[in-house]
Amino acid sequence: MRPGIAVVVPSWASPRAAAGFLVALAALAGAPALTDVYTHNLLTLTYLSVSGALAWNWMGGFAGQVSFGHAAFFGLGGFVAARLLLAGTVPAWAAWLAGGLAAAVVALSAHPVLRLRGPYFSIATIGVGEAARVLFTYWEGFTGGASGLSLPVAPELKLQLYWWALALLGVAVAGSYTIRRSTLGLKLLAIKSDVEAAADVGVSSAFQQDVTLVLSAGMIGLTGGLYASYFSYIEPNDMLGFDRSISFVLMAVIGGLGTILGPLLGAVVFVLVRQYLLASYPQLYLGLYGALLIAIILFEPLGLTGLLLRLARRFGYRDRPDLAPGASAVKPAPAAAERR
Amino acid sequence: MPLLRVEGLTRRFGGLTAVDAVDLEVASGEILGVIGPNGAGKTTLFALIAGSLAPTSGRVWLEGELVSGLPAHRVVRAGIARTHQIVRPFQNLTVLENVHVAALAGARRKGGAPVALAEELVHTTGLSERARDYPSALTLAHRKRLELARALATSPRLLLLDEVIAGLNPAEAQQLAALIREIRARLGISIVMIEHVMPAVMSLSDRIAVLDHGKKIAEGAPAAIARDPAVIEAYLGTGAAAGAGAPP
Amino acid sequence: MQRVLDLAVSTVLLAGLYATMAYGLGLIYGVLRLVNLAHAGVIMAGAYLGWLLHLELGLDPYLSIPLVVAASFALGVVVYLALVRHLPRGTAGGPSSLLLLFGVWLVLRNAAYLLFTGNDQVIRTGYSIRSLALLGGFVSLNRLAVFAVAVVVPVGLHLLLQRTFVGRAIRAVAQNADSCTLVGVDVQRVYAFTFGLGTALAGLAGLLSATLFSFNPSFGASELLKSFVVVVLGGLGSILGTGLAALVLAAVEVFAILVLPSYLTGAVGFVMLVAVLVLRPGGLFGQRVLA
Repeated sequence: MRPGIAVVVPSWASPRAAAGFLVALAALAGAPALTDVYTHNLLTLTYLSVSGALAWNWMGGFAGQVSFGHAAFFGLGGFVAARLLLAGTVPAWAAWLAGGLAAAVVALSAHPVLRLRGPYFSIATIGVGEAARVLFTYWEGFTGGASGLSLPVAPELKLQLYWWALALLGVAVAGSYTIRRSTLGLKLLAIKSDVEAAADVGVSSAFQQDVTLVLSAGMIGLTGGLYASYFSYIEPNDMLGFDRSISFVLMAVIGGLGTILGPLLGAVVFVLVRQYLLASYPQLYLGLYGALLIAIILFEPLGLTGLLLRLARRFGYRDRPDLAPGASAVKPAPAAAERR
Repeated sequence: MPLLRVEGLTRRFGGLTAVDAVDLEVASGEILGVIGPNGAGKTTLFALIAGSLAPTSGRVWLEGELVSGLPAHRVVRAGIARTHQIVRPFQNLTVLENVHVAALAGARRKGGAPVALAEELVHTTGLSERARDYPSALTLAHRKRLELARALATSPRLLLLDEVIAGLNPAEAQQLAALIREIRARLGISIVMIEHVMPAVMSLSDRIAVLDHGKKIAEGAPAAIARDPAVIEAYLGTGAAAGAGAPP
Repeated sequence: MQRVLDLAVSTVLLAGLYATMAYGLGLIYGVLRLVNLAHAGVIMAGAYLGWLLHLELGLDPYLSIPLVVAASFALGVVVYLALVRHLPRGTAGGPSSLLLLFGVWLVLRNAAYLLFTGNDQVIRTGYSIRSLALLGGFVSLNRLAVFAVAVVVPVGLHLLLQRTFVGRAIRAVAQNADSCTLVGVDVQRVYAFTFGLGTALAGLAGLLSATLFSFNPSFGASELLKSFVVVVLGGLGSILGTGLAALVLAAVEVFAILVLPSYLTGAVGFVMLVAVLVLRPGGLFGQRVLA
């Protein structure tokens, strides 16, 4: 599966970078010895957000299909895991995995929606996401209705969640690279560039997107499961709400759609900003992100990653002459105001 | 059995009949030229055969297997590949990556490693120097070769070439023509080529079919086609057929 | 039987509102090939503007129509000139335009939240609860008024597109923008005008909705989806088609209320959306340009 040729990836993704990443992971794993509980929990939440954003990016960035309804999978995973945890029959990790699996299986049924292109797909996902939320809100037997579910979480688990979440993040990052460098990634790039020409060389966009969605949904469902354990209380309007779906979009796009560093940066920024903005200007953050989104689309389509790249190039970093890895679905605006 | 059999292939767009009940046969190892005035429906015909467009009626068989009605990617897997009149490389992939994507299908058909297949074809089409470049950095001639390499990477039995020589200077055209001959000779691939550059299509083709207004109006050896009054008329208008001579 | 008649009347009245909503979205897509996600935000903005005018100035919503329409138009033009115009060529269908307009929607949402808080609002006038005896049943005066406006809209739109120079320019640009530049049509001006016209219709729809339903800053999402359903189902460029599609959607909703438990009726629009999109793969868009 791994191409031996130069599927060009920037140098920071080389074996050296991989080693660097592992070192960072190890360092983070040891961090709790030095931090207080508040930071500890904040980091856990950040790791979960990063995983969610990376998973969303597989569809939105790699496959170029922007989904405004991913919260449906997130919530499905969360509630499946929560139910299993409440039943007390399986260990936590098994419950989370079950959540991820459930989401992946449901994603298989999304095939008809995947045949839609671009904007149609995106709008359909708004509908699917909202329909799922309504369904979950009133399916009291499963989700506890609007009151949601309370999980009795052992205090040690909440602490241990730090490492589980870190491991999940590792999996998400590794998964992102694997997809990006695999033949799936190659095909997705081709589809993003020219879906018809891709078909003319034997690439079925529907199938590749099916695969990507299953992976993306599974990963985000898994994240939902851990999230449920982390908060030990979940309810449908939060887990499957439009705002939740939006948060994945924002994290990935602001960080850098289609890149791997992007969702990572975006999620970190998102969590931090939310924490601090929530204290002082509780309702400003969506508008802030809206404005950021606009600025990014118009000026720096690769978001924060793009800004970093610009900075790096100033210092002599040589990247691909073309756009950065995973050629963003978002094209940069030309210098002069061009006719659309 | 002919490699390709096209029977009564028709495609209508609303009131316009772009391709009108075309019958064709291509033998194994043959090069069939397709010519005709602009708007005659040649590219549409290719799109129908390759599965990019669904026919309104008519059928296409490849080696006895029905391929009409299949989506494009399935047709590729069956063994038909096409190039586009206006080249469509994947802008976000390097030359080698472009060919690699196609080689995934090709390796599935023929076996072997996609990477090796891609590298070999990049070499065969003379693009080794440019393997790591992006299409935007290539000249038109090189982009046409890339288009060709990509199509070849799918290991087709039948290759549909849509005006690959047009737009090239004489030297480049010569090279490409030689390449096409080599493809047939060495790889055993049958070729159908749409072309406006008459010297090229005349010398390369074993047979030529002529389309006008969606219909096939003539078919035969190049020399015979050149003298065919119906063909001359299609190109030059009524009355021109009176003076026999080679088409422009 | 009376019941059916009542439902039929409800359907028709609702369809009028849906059609008005849909024209705005369809116009922008038909001419600029953009899916305007901010449509939801403008609908919401129109609702709030009307409510504000009613609250502060005591202005009857139907009298404030010109104001709301003008303001929504201006908003659209500004958004187009300041933002949309700068989108790179060829990205009209891609994530860029979607995300840009989505950003605009978020900003509008947040602005409303800051200005008006997240509480539900509605416009209540003296005649809000009055009804008229019609066809054996009672019909809300308000709904009739909304319908009356909704009927005027397509007529006006049709006249604009067919009889005025601007309308012709719009239709021409929708068919072939490049050729238009060649004959001296200022395409950017036409785009800006059309975008504004689309948002004006959205604002109007929002105003009308505000008299019928309660709303808050998150209002508009399901209206966006329903507009989309109507546009896809009705075919682009056909004013009649849009009207018929609106009828279909309204009919499905009204009769769904009969059949489904109350909490599921909210999902009807969503389900219809997915069904319509999936059963018409690739969308109807592009089949017909503004005629």
